Amino acid sequence: MKSPLISVALFHLGPVPITAGVVTTWVIMAVMLLGGLLITRRLSLVPSPTQATFELIVDTVDGQIRDTMEVEPARYRAFIGTLFAFIFVSNWSSLVPGVQPPTAHLETDAALALLVFLAVIWFGLRAGGVRGYLATFATPSPIMIPLNFIESITRTFSLLVRLFGNVMSGVFVIGIVLSLAGLLVPIPLMALDLLTGAVQAYIFAILAMVFIAGAVGGAKPASDITSERTAP
Amino acid sequence: MKIDWWTLGIQTVNVAILVWLLKRFFWQPVATMIGQRRATTQKTLAEADEKRKQATAALAEIEKTRAGLTQEGEKVMAAAHCAGEQARSVRLAQAETDAAKLVATAKAAIEKESAVTEKEWAERSGQLAIEIAARLARRLNETSVRAAFLDWLLAEIRSLPEAERRAAAAAGTALEAVSATTLEPAEQERYSALIGKAFGVCPRIVFKVDPALIAGLELHGPHFTVNNSWRADLAQILADIRHGNRD
Repeated sequence: MKSPLISVALFHLGPVPITAGVVTTWVIMAVMLLGGLLITRRLSLVPSPTQATFELIVDTVDGQIRDTMEVEPARYRAFIGTLFAFIFVSNWSSLVPGVQPPTAHLETDAALALLVFLAVIWFGLRAGGVRGYLATFATPSPIMIPLNFIESITRTFSLLVRLFGNVMSGVFVIGIVLSLAGLLVPIPLMALDLLTGAVQAYIFAILAMVFIAGAVGGAKPASDITSERTAP
Repeated sequence: MKIDWWTLGIQTVNVAILVWLLKRFFWQPVATMIGQRRATTQKTLAEADEKRKQATAALAEIEKTRAGLTQEGEKVMAAAHCAGEQARSVRLAQAETDAAKLVATAKAAIEKESAVTEKEWAERSGQLAIEIAARLARRLNETSVRAAFLDWLLAEIRSLPEAERRAAAAAGTALEAVSATTLEPAEQERYSALIGKAFGVCPRIVFKVDPALIAGLELHGPHFTVNNSWRADLAQILADIRHGNRD
């Protein structure tokens, strides 16, 4: 069993090592992109069952954004939805024999956490500008500025560690049990790992929404928030 | 455990690219389609609501028209009832007029028929009376009857104007004395004498017999006639009856 703590380069593109996690990520990206293209190729006002299913997914993501961030979901749908879908598919890619989820590697989770960190800054700046965004660090009082700066970094690390710990531990446990107890024993653990993967994808997306909402909500005037909440 | 920064960078770029690709090829199209469906649904609902309002308005108009039709129908029924009553009155009056005319015509016909019948019966009664009189006359004493008729004849002659008597006697023409039965020569002479005396002159008298007289003695001249018989009397009575003069 290969340890997920070690990223082994499959090949190099110049000085850049291409690891198995990166290749798996590319495959997942291709699958998701191809799936998206297939789904959106024949969209119609009278939906097919497949179209209705994916519209339900989109509508659920929108609903979650509305409920969690209390804003209109259009601006955040792609980022939040893609985060959730990528983590979900990555976590469940362990169903494919011989494939380790990219999220079991620290670099992928760090990349996801880094993207959330950058997205918080980006959406905060878009919502309230530099001053508005920086003002969010002074809430509820300027005394909290150092703590808020530290928190913005530590919560990114908490995202990273939470996802990495859950997925990596699942992979480890299944691998150990598989090497010790044979064929059928790991199945309940694999099922539990699938549940954990889905829950972790959901938690990651929810936390990303909470962080972004904290930056967006605190950066813009209250009247804007009210108008967004009452918008259809 | 160490972090491969190249891998971290590649994965960051990978996820960022995936976000962009899925935004372009999945999230946006599906969300647009949901929005279009929602807009179409709202438009359809708005149109349905508009149609429902129009239908409600049309229904109200229909109800109004139906109420108007009912009122109009009642008016038409009332007008028809009035016209019917008027026509019935006119027809009734016409029928009464026609009935009165028929009654009058029938009455006139009945009266006419009654008059004709009465005339017929009067004529028959006259004929019957003549027959009765003829039978009675045959049973009477001829001599006394002749004498009576002779007296009546003489009285008639005497009642003639003097000029007319003399003109009748002076004409030189014979006068006809018609009796119902044959007179004996002696009686003829006696009758001639008495008639001449009544005229005041002695005219030539020729005696004839006519049983149709029933009884009596008539005198016929060229310019006058003295009807003195039961036939003449009965004829006069019959004529009076025919003319409604029963006195």
